[in-house]
Amino acid sequence: MGRAVAIMGTGQTHHGKRFDVSYPELVREAVQRAFEDSGLSPEDVDAVVTGTMPSMMEGIALNHLYLADAIQVVGKPLLKTETCGSTGMSVAHTAFYWVAAGLADVVLAVGFEKMYEGDSQATMTTVADPWIQRSFVAGAPGIFAMQSNMWIDRHHIPAERLREAAAVISLRNHDDAFDNPYAHIKARISLEEIKDSRIVTYPIRRWDVCPNSDGACAVLFMSEHKAKQMANPPAWIKGVGYRGDESYLGDSDKVRWNTAIDAAKEAYHQAGIVNPRRELDVAEVYNPFTFMELLLYECFGFCDFGEACDLALQGTFSRGGDLPCDPSGGVLCTNPIGATGLIRVAEAAMQVTGKAGAHQVDGAQLALAHAMGGVSQFNGIMIVGSQQ
Amino acid sequence: MTKEYRTLHTTVNLPYELAFGATLTRFFDGLSAEKILGTRCPKCSRVLVPARSFCPRCFIDLDDWVEVGQTGTVETWSLVSYEYIGMAKTPPYITGLIRLDGADVSFTHLIGGIDMSSIDQVQSRLAIGTRVKAVWATEKPGSIFDIEYFVPI
Amino acid sequence: MSGRVGIVAAAESSPAITQDNMMDAVYKVTKELLNKVGIDRDDVGTIVTAASDVFHSGISCANSYYWEASGGFLKNASRQDGDSLFAFLYGCLRVLSGHFETAMVIALTKGSENPENDTVTSLYADPFYHRPLGINETTAAALQMRQYMERYGITAEQCALVTVKNLRNALFNPYAHIRKSVTVDEVLNSKATADPLTTLQCAPKSDGMVAVLLAAEDTAKALTDHPVWFRGYGSAMDTYTLGDRDLLRGTLPQAAQAAYTMARLEKPSEEVDVAEISEPYGFQELLWCEQLGLCAEGKGGRLIDSGTTHLDGRLPVNPSGGVLATNPYVARGLYRVAEAYWQITGKAGEHQVKKSVHTALAHSTHGFAGQSHTVVILGD
Repeated sequence: MGRAVAIMGTGQTHHGKRFDVSYPELVREAVQRAFEDSGLSPEDVDAVVTGTMPSMMEGIALNHLYLADAIQVVGKPLLKTETCGSTGMSVAHTAFYWVAAGLADVVLAVGFEKMYEGDSQATMTTVADPWIQRSFVAGAPGIFAMQSNMWIDRHHIPAERLREAAAVISLRNHDDAFDNPYAHIKARISLEEIKDSRIVTYPIRRWDVCPNSDGACAVLFMSEHKAKQMANPPAWIKGVGYRGDESYLGDSDKVRWNTAIDAAKEAYHQAGIVNPRRELDVAEVYNPFTFMELLLYECFGFCDFGEACDLALQGTFSRGGDLPCDPSGGVLCTNPIGATGLIRVAEAAMQVTGKAGAHQVDGAQLALAHAMGGVSQFNGIMIVGSQQ
Repeated sequence: MTKEYRTLHTTVNLPYELAFGATLTRFFDGLSAEKILGTRCPKCSRVLVPARSFCPRCFIDLDDWVEVGQTGTVETWSLVSYEYIGMAKTPPYITGLIRLDGADVSFTHLIGGIDMSSIDQVQSRLAIGTRVKAVWATEKPGSIFDIEYFVPI
Repeated sequence: MSGRVGIVAAAESSPAITQDNMMDAVYKVTKELLNKVGIDRDDVGTIVTAASDVFHSGISCANSYYWEASGGFLKNASRQDGDSLFAFLYGCLRVLSGHFETAMVIALTKGSENPENDTVTSLYADPFYHRPLGINETTAAALQMRQYMERYGITAEQCALVTVKNLRNALFNPYAHIRKSVTVDEVLNSKATADPLTTLQCAPKSDGMVAVLLAAEDTAKALTDHPVWFRGYGSAMDTYTLGDRDLLRGTLPQAAQAAYTMARLEKPSEEVDVAEISEPYGFQELLWCEQLGLCAEGKGGRLIDSGTTHLDGRLPVNPSGGVLATNPYVARGLYRVAEAYWQITGKAGEHQVKKSVHTALAHSTHGFAGQSHTVVILGD
């Protein structure tokens, strides 16, 4: 099925509030680091894929025009892939299909966002249709709170146990972020502080929520024959999956969430994965809210439905557990949205090539990267491995 | 035909706070001091105005700052007379590309100080190749309009 | 590249400003395409749509809204922003990768719901430098036009002839938005926008939805007797800052060459039978023809004077009426592909060109003075 595709090099900005740089300068920081990491230079690139959140986020429309120089696309073909929150993952998928189709050998994928420059929740409210849903949804926290409450109710999860499990997820991500030099939020907080933090949209509390970040990520995708000429070991793409459902939040079951279930199945099938918890060594799950991380474990088959809280409390998804999740600190600590999905891919590739530094999961060979988007509609997966 | 169905009138109006970054901050500080600053690329030797932090072609850092001339040559221009919502300037105005003396790229700005009541009036003072010079605003807060416009010499 | 990918069918929305809600309008064109082929949504492998938030009735993350209307429920689908020829390429890539047998590519813009085109294109500009100076696609095109006329002696009349020719062609295209006959004098005497451009030399703001079905070679042959093959693609971006560019030496020659090389065209001016070229500003058709190698440098004016590019000429350009007649901003690129498809299959109706068509060129552009150019070559 198509040509084999590898990732050869990743680059990230130091994520956070980056008023020290303009938008193009921020983007270039990640692009340059990807070139440095890969040993490639801009001349080696055949094509570029890019994407961000909508124009309303920074107030610049079709920003591939303004950022053309920063992403080094001058004189080259571009694709501009945008799928809301899952944009970064969809950008990675586009680069993958471009190489797999045989029309390019080296594709630079770049995702970015400068969220301190705009109003992210006001922007996200405009994702909802103006006739019905826009008047009611309170940005992303509003939508995901509704989804979390459905999940809690379906599985009859006791309030205290839920709060405990969510707090464990939050603590784990915030602690792990200290081992990731690029992570945005570096906060030493206690389990009690997390549990008692103020409610944003019930059941979501202050420390259950991701930040707004400025940041960019760049990843170089390569054909098999090019990758095998490189000195450094690549990460191989083992599987990709993507699904979406309706724009009306109430149309689909978001607990047994078919877009997440089917996207994972599509990728597992290609990668030959039967038992994800056993076979995957690490997962970078898109977790802007702690509850969503738990809900997604179930949809991805990391555990049975209704089991996620118990296993999270047992440490199954912590470093040293069966399947460490988000050792980078995840979206919960770093969220430049257009880059966020691509950061998951970059982190997964770093893990299986042994480049994750202080947050390396020892011996990781197979990793899952995930992103979601839309009005809680889209799920995208990419699985990477150290072996072809 | 009468409308059968209703429409929703809506606007999207969002606030922004945008980072200049170090290089554009210095460029606009330069305008406040009535200086037009560029950066020279050590590889291709081009002087780029406005100043850039990196060369778009060579993709290397730039920090060789140069002040370019406040006079230049018009490369092309347009008398703008139509209007649209959210327009930055009220027409008529003349927008132009100006190759400032000492720069290797053209600077986009307004051309003013001439009669814009008709295209004939404008063409009596302005053509491709016309020499122009910067006219500074009285108030210079560090924006692109610290230069009010360029006037034909 | 494993095998070929072909266009099986195309559908365009009705040109009338529709009172349909966006979602219904998307559904209608999607459904029409499926009906034409006689397949169900379930038979479609993947979907790539093209829409930009800023041209999407103020609804962000465009495809979140119309996902199900474009047939996407529980499918692996994606979206391109800005230019629908990007979506066309991505659909082809998905099929060529071997992961999908068929791909539906749908482009949609409901211009009647959007602000004026230039309210939006002014938002392409960086907020520090170009935007406060009033740079948008029209003012940038005006700067380009004045240079073009001066450097090559192209006359105002020659530029105006593009509008005359394309609007005349549009009279024969039931899907065109602007359908009226105009003279050179009327074009030149229409209200000035950004001199030397006048209103009739600037594209309108149109509603437009267009969909094509792509399939891998064997599937394409099974679904239709007349597949049209994707033969070549080339695309290139120029640098951003207007003053850094030579507005008359952009990246279109590079994009065209890449497409010609892939399609193995050695003499495009002789081998291309018909061209659908995006000309949001009339003179750009002349300039783009030069840069596409369809005539020599500086000879764009002579090309239109000679009648070569007329509906009955040797190399008809924009028999559909082009973008000057119908400009659903993001969708206009895929309209070029759909029109090229109809010309090759002989289904263009009254605006079918008066010669046999085997090879057709589709072109799109967006950004200031053509910062982005994309060229597609199709053939039977």
